[in-house]
Amino acid sequence: MIEFKNVTFAYSSTDADGRAIEQGSISGIDLTIQNGEFVVLTGGSGCGKTTITRLINGLIPHYYSGTLNGDVLIDGKSVPNTPIFETAKKVGSVFQNPRSQFFNVNTTDEIAFAAENQCIAPERILSHIAETTRNMQIEKLLDRSIFELSGGEKQIIACAGINVLSPDIVVLDEPSSNLDSSAIMKLKSILADWKSQGKTIIIAEHRLYFLRELADRMLILEGGRITKELQADEVNKLTFADTERMGIRPLSLEDISFSRESSSNHNEMLTLESFIFTYKDGKHGINIPKLELPTNSVIAIIGHNGAGKSTLARNICGLEKKCKGTLTLNGKKLKAKDRLHYCYMIMQDVNHQLFTESVRDEVMLSMTDKSMPDEQKAQKADEILTQLDLIEYADTHPMALSGGQKQRTAIASGIASSKPIIIFDEPTSGLDLAHMKQVAVEILKLRDMGKTVFIVTHDLELILSCCDHIVRLEKGEAAENYKLYKDIAARLRQFFAN
Amino acid sequence: MELGLSSTSDNSVQKLDPRTKLCLLIAISLIMVGGKTVGVEYILRVICAAIPFVLLLTVRHIKSALIYVMLLGLSVFCEGSVIPNISGAPNLILMILCGIISRFVPGYMMGWYTVRSTSVSEFMTAMDRMRVPYFITIPFSVMFRYFPTLGEEYRSIHDAMKMREIGQSVKNPFIYIEYVLVPIMMSTVRIADELSAASLTKGLCAGGKRTHICQISIKFYDWLLMLGSLVMIVLFFVF
Repeated sequence: MIEFKNVTFAYSSTDADGRAIEQGSISGIDLTIQNGEFVVLTGGSGCGKTTITRLINGLIPHYYSGTLNGDVLIDGKSVPNTPIFETAKKVGSVFQNPRSQFFNVNTTDEIAFAAENQCIAPERILSHIAETTRNMQIEKLLDRSIFELSGGEKQIIACAGINVLSPDIVVLDEPSSNLDSSAIMKLKSILADWKSQGKTIIIAEHRLYFLRELADRMLILEGGRITKELQADEVNKLTFADTERMGIRPLSLEDISFSRESSSNHNEMLTLESFIFTYKDGKHGINIPKLELPTNSVIAIIGHNGAGKSTLARNICGLEKKCKGTLTLNGKKLKAKDRLHYCYMIMQDVNHQLFTESVRDEVMLSMTDKSMPDEQKAQKADEILTQLDLIEYADTHPMALSGGQKQRTAIASGIASSKPIIIFDEPTSGLDLAHMKQVAVEILKLRDMGKTVFIVTHDLELILSCCDHIVRLEKGEAAENYKLYKDIAARLRQFFAN
Repeated sequence: MELGLSSTSDNSVQKLDPRTKLCLLIAISLIMVGGKTVGVEYILRVICAAIPFVLLLTVRHIKSALIYVMLLGLSVFCEGSVIPNISGAPNLILMILCGIISRFVPGYMMGWYTVRSTSVSEFMTAMDRMRVPYFITIPFSVMFRYFPTLGEEYRSIHDAMKMREIGQSVKNPFIYIEYVLVPIMMSTVRIADELSAASLTKGLCAGGKRTHICQISIKFYDWLLMLGSLVMIVLFFVF
């Protein structure tokens, strides 16, 4: 049993000027979780759900410092007063970012890692690994480098590690953020398996549709408090309108509404020709002889992990020099090198593309026109920042912004570069409903400015709220290419439901 | 060429124990850097230069083995035939260059082989057997794991710069370096932070004891090679 007794926690951190501040996270939480219960925590960004998972696995207060009041008990033992390696015997954790949760490079070593730390005899660990491998059917993933695996495969390895040590409690912090629909289904079956073994599961998530049948209880948090508590039968009854009102992601993919009118029909077309590219490993790549797409519209690139979505995006952008393909836009034939001048990509991790010391400089950096004087550039930058509600942060360091603000800064630089094609790589991974909607609004703004927007995404809701056209990739080839309108949305849902 | 400890544990024909690799590394570095180029030490140097080549071949790093041999061959050729025939500044520069290559590259290649052919868990196990405390082992193993991560981050940032055409608009190399370093530092600090948190929840702890599923043992040829390195070191100091 896990008990929260009037728990209040505030992170200690520093503000943009380096002063020490306390950032409130949760306050006055009273919560009892029974053994074997499956609890879903949800709510907007910064609502405190991650904090609750950290209080259970002991990272608060043992790793993240702050002011803690109240007590968290697991089977009557206080977590804050127990060393974290003791808690680790009982509580297993899966994190959001698959890139940064592995200590080892080799997958088998990683699966064994938690058990090794608990001094379990090597023979026993090996037999547990063999058993887990059989149950989860992951023979192919053993003894590999984690740098070769996809995000979904990494999360499966993280879950396998938990199976080997087999703790009674598992906490997961947004495990589906970086996963595609098939990897989410795999995660769902692992969770169902744990539930049937009687493990207590606490999962903090934005995407909820795969948890509908599993959840015993759902807690909605807001501003660090539990504002709503739903039992399994109530969770099952939630409709799209209900979740929309509560500000959370839908619990079923079927009833996401598609209410937009289709965009204009007479778009000019852009043509991709002989986009053929293979990575050095010889396995992954794309093979698209010809593809015609409408300009000045929002095009979603969908497909499973490894289908070549990101590869296509990189090639459109001109980042792979070896690709001989051409893109014809307004009668101009563009080779890879030329496309770099025509395309702007907003990367999944926007931290990689922000370089300067202030948001305004960041936007001005994109204006490569040398004939324009700096004052004029600054003025134009401020105009763009106003459009994206960033003007009040114009002098702030980009790294001091929140994730969504950073993304908007990157979009602003994209607009400033006046390139006609803007590409988004997974713009909504790990975003709550409100932020997802905001991204959709920004993408539509870009379309209204006359840009052609490509979005690589796994997020059906985002597609239904802003895309006009769908390209589905399968094994590097364009399997489907169609205009999105109301009657065809069912076809799209079907892809995401599988 | 990618840095970082090896990913898969068994990719060589004859697997050497990490401790053997360390012995060889010490012997090679000592003899190649400090040895004279005449007499017994000359023979020792030839042996030491050959060891990394053979070992690289056993882990099928054929390309790097060949590059290594060519580099070494070139510097020996220059030392023997080119340097005596030229004079002045070119002579000095070439002599320094060849000296650096022939003295440091074998040790470097041996180190590279050691890193490439040892997995994190083999390294941890070997260190544990040698009674090296965890507060030394853990930071080292995290560091090795980190090199490929740095590579990944750098590639993304490089792409972003290419796409934003920053190489063309920013001519000042210091600003260019700043633009690379700041995002790399920001993201690596974040990754390191998350990595530490994840390791803690998996019960990693500097004070405790842990077991190892990885099997390392000192076999016959390990003893042979260790004895060999010891003999070479003794010979090196005697002559």
